[in-house]
Amino acid sequence: MLTFIIRRLLIVVPMLFVISFLVYLGLELTPGDAVSHMIDPEVASRISAEQLSEMREALGLNKSFLERYYIWIVNVLQGDFGHSLAGGVPISDIVFDRLPATLELSFIAIVFSTIFGCLLGVFSALKKGSLTDNSLSVVGMLGISIPEFFFGLVALLIFALNLQWLPIGGRLLPGYETIWDRLPHMVLPGFVLALMMTAGVMRYSRSAMLDSLSRDFIKTARAKGLPEWRINFIHGFRVALTPVIVLIGFRLPTLIGGSVIIEQVFQWPGIGNEFIAAVRGQDYPLVMMIALFSVFAVLMASLIIDVLTALVDPRVRLD
Amino acid sequence: MTSDIALSVKDLKTYFYTNNRCNKAINGVSFDIRRGKTLCIVGESGCGKSVTASTIMQLLPTLSRIEAGSITYHAERGDIRIDQLARNGAEIRKIRGAEIAMIFQDPMTALNPVYTIGFQIEESLKYHTDLSLKEIKKKAIDLLRDMGIPMPEKRVDEYPHQFSGGMRQRAMIAMAMSCNPKILIADEPTTALDVTIQAQIFKLMDKLKAEHDTAIMLITHDMGVVAELADEVAVMYMGNIVEAGSVDDVLRSPKHPYTRALLDSIPVLGQGKKQAIKAIKGATPDPYERPNGCSFAPRCDFATKECDVMPDEEYISKSHRIMCANYKAVS
Amino acid sequence: MMSKSALDKKFDRIRSLEEAGKLKPLTGSRALRKMLNNRLALIGLIVFLVILLASIFAPLLTAHNPMKINLRDMLQAPSFEHILGTDKTGRDVFARILYGGRISILVGLGSALIGAFIGVGIGCFAGYKGGWIDVAALRLSEIFMAFPQIILVLLLVSIVGQSLINLMLIFVLTGWGAMYRLTRARVLSLREEEYVQALQSFGLSTWLICYKHILPNALGPIAVNITLTTAMFILAEAGLSFLGLGVPPSIPTWGNILIVAQDLRVLQNNWWLWLPVGMVISLFVMAVNFIGDGLRDSADPTLQG
Repeated sequence: MLTFIIRRLLIVVPMLFVISFLVYLGLELTPGDAVSHMIDPEVASRISAEQLSEMREALGLNKSFLERYYIWIVNVLQGDFGHSLAGGVPISDIVFDRLPATLELSFIAIVFSTIFGCLLGVFSALKKGSLTDNSLSVVGMLGISIPEFFFGLVALLIFALNLQWLPIGGRLLPGYETIWDRLPHMVLPGFVLALMMTAGVMRYSRSAMLDSLSRDFIKTARAKGLPEWRINFIHGFRVALTPVIVLIGFRLPTLIGGSVIIEQVFQWPGIGNEFIAAVRGQDYPLVMMIALFSVFAVLMASLIIDVLTALVDPRVRLD
Repeated sequence: MTSDIALSVKDLKTYFYTNNRCNKAINGVSFDIRRGKTLCIVGESGCGKSVTASTIMQLLPTLSRIEAGSITYHAERGDIRIDQLARNGAEIRKIRGAEIAMIFQDPMTALNPVYTIGFQIEESLKYHTDLSLKEIKKKAIDLLRDMGIPMPEKRVDEYPHQFSGGMRQRAMIAMAMSCNPKILIADEPTTALDVTIQAQIFKLMDKLKAEHDTAIMLITHDMGVVAELADEVAVMYMGNIVEAGSVDDVLRSPKHPYTRALLDSIPVLGQGKKQAIKAIKGATPDPYERPNGCSFAPRCDFATKECDVMPDEEYISKSHRIMCANYKAVS
Repeated sequence: MMSKSALDKKFDRIRSLEEAGKLKPLTGSRALRKMLNNRLALIGLIVFLVILLASIFAPLLTAHNPMKINLRDMLQAPSFEHILGTDKTGRDVFARILYGGRISILVGLGSALIGAFIGVGIGCFAGYKGGWIDVAALRLSEIFMAFPQIILVLLLVSIVGQSLINLMLIFVLTGWGAMYRLTRARVLSLREEEYVQALQSFGLSTWLICYKHILPNALGPIAVNITLTTAMFILAEAGLSFLGLGVPPSIPTWGNILIVAQDLRVLQNNWWLWLPVGMVISLFVMAVNFIGDGLRDSADPTLQG
């Protein structure tokens, strides 16, 4: 198992370097540099060209591209992620400030959608063709077809604006109030995100379960005289588990990257929200770092998926 | 003393209802399976061999049902009408695996890939015996050893994909034999295997029959296998048993034109390239467009007007029966 | 026995019809028949076509210009003159939805098709031949797939800037990888089939084998994937434009029309500005997804039709 993980890591690490290089290169192609962003254009017109180039030199911008990349990546590896163009705040401060909010929301959504998505999907598959199955299928289809922000807005309108049961958005800082004060703020975005994710998990686990139940070994299990629950769960669900784990694994990056659109709709102060602000404000260093964090999250998630599938599927393990 | 009949099937009809059509997959078959004997059911693909096996085990798909007839299992505790048991109900579950076991065609897909061979054998024992976990484990190893699998202590903890095709089929047989069933149904158990492995598997099955007095129902399309293993033979065509009898009856003096055609279409080893192999003319009819009378009539060289009516089963000797209006003309 | 179950009754009915010789043999393409028998897929196809045609023939359906500002008719509720009312600058919402559909569908369907064309084109050849093309394309697709989709799109938007063409380019760039991998996987297994070996032994050219003989056998899953990608891109365009980072706000698209819903007063008081367009997006995406489900089921031989 250890060699298995090490082998996967050997693929992940170079990948991160290549991507960081490409992202750095991409942002190099954007107009302007740190200096022109930091200084107001009006101020810039009053500053002499020498002063500008002095500032560039001070920031190391006159060095070649590769040199700058090298300096940057060494800094990143030492935990110095650079500074945001807006206000010059260290990026690490911003990220660690926003991460708890994102983790909180995504964690609720992933746990909820995994539990209910699997339960409903498996139930639906076992009752294939029944009224329950058909209704669940339609609900699942709605869930993957309605734009999440639209669903969020409708929920906002009904529960926050019209019924006024819940606050319209935002998040109270931890420790600021008790959990009961903070909870209502979490309910709407958490609920919307969880429902949207549940629809996908449900559809997927239903088809994985149906696929598994149509295999020959199910007939063998039945011919052995096993009870139906054992055939369905010990044999059927166990085999359907592998694809379901892969799907859920692909959701893990939202733990770090956040759900960009839902956070925006509910003004949830998470990483996704910060990312939008950075893209809008052309705060390139921040955009770059958040993108890289989410790539890191994806690669780690795929590592976790690999390890988990190897754990549940002996065919992968012994390859 | 009880009779030696383990299971008898009478006028069984099983119809399939897929695609909003009705396919009369089994259209009235009768046969007995005897203790310590092998009954071979032969026929082309689609003739209803496998459906017969599934029907006996109550393993039919949802869109099908038993229309008429009876399946009687002569258990020591008295006769049981299998056709009247609820599908997947408690009674049939007690019989499946414990008293009637089944082996499938493709050992590659019939084993669950995520469990060890041992787990899958032990599962059967757990549900049908009162043995302790330790005894179960030991029994699984013993079974594998009996099936001729080397190093069973080690292999019992391996997964199906680590086994070769022949090994997997042995494991399947070990699983089927784990509770000493009275009847073993084997649905083309060697079709997916190499010829050399086939011989080993058959030898194994013959040994089991002799040692445990198991009744075997072997489904095959291979006349060579029939000659090798069968005590009794039933030839199926389009959902009917057209000819049945002892091996000698059917192979040495076939009466039904279909049986004859089948036998004529087999090349015989050692006869060289000059032997005349006769193919059966035409193709199997559409199962939805069955002829009113004898279903083989459109392809039969001896067909007459009488064949437009479904022929009755006739006994031409004590053991030999046939379903043909013109069998006298044939011989 | 207890009273007969519904299934038993259905069996009895089919059997009596069959025995009366009333059931005809099935003719025509099995996949097509299954598709047509699938009611949901058929409804999906109809909804898809209705929305598509309504967008294409928008000028015939509405006399209003979607861009024309009319400050005298600001924020009017639906009326006979303006079926779905007017927005804050007096533009007709119904016309904006129709014309917006043109761009939204163009972005969604167009990017999915171009992405598929590129992905399938490379995947088919690279999967069959292997070699450096395959390695290069595989690595490249891995890089693109290491990003969460929305993050990659936004990153690219911030690099190349906001425009209709750029957005389509970005979608193609983020979408080709999945198509490539799908095609490649199918081709890898198909190339081991005996018919391919037979074609090779006939001395057919590589191009002919992979595009004429292998590709058609891989089209089923590809078609399903195109529908999924189309649905995904339409949702992505709506989401991005809603954030103000997709198609430039001056061009009407479904997402751009919805921007106004960020204003909570509009959300509460002017339902006609956001509800109809949100429902049109949902309906259209759902139609595409139903078509996709139908295609997948019709290609699946284990399902009866």
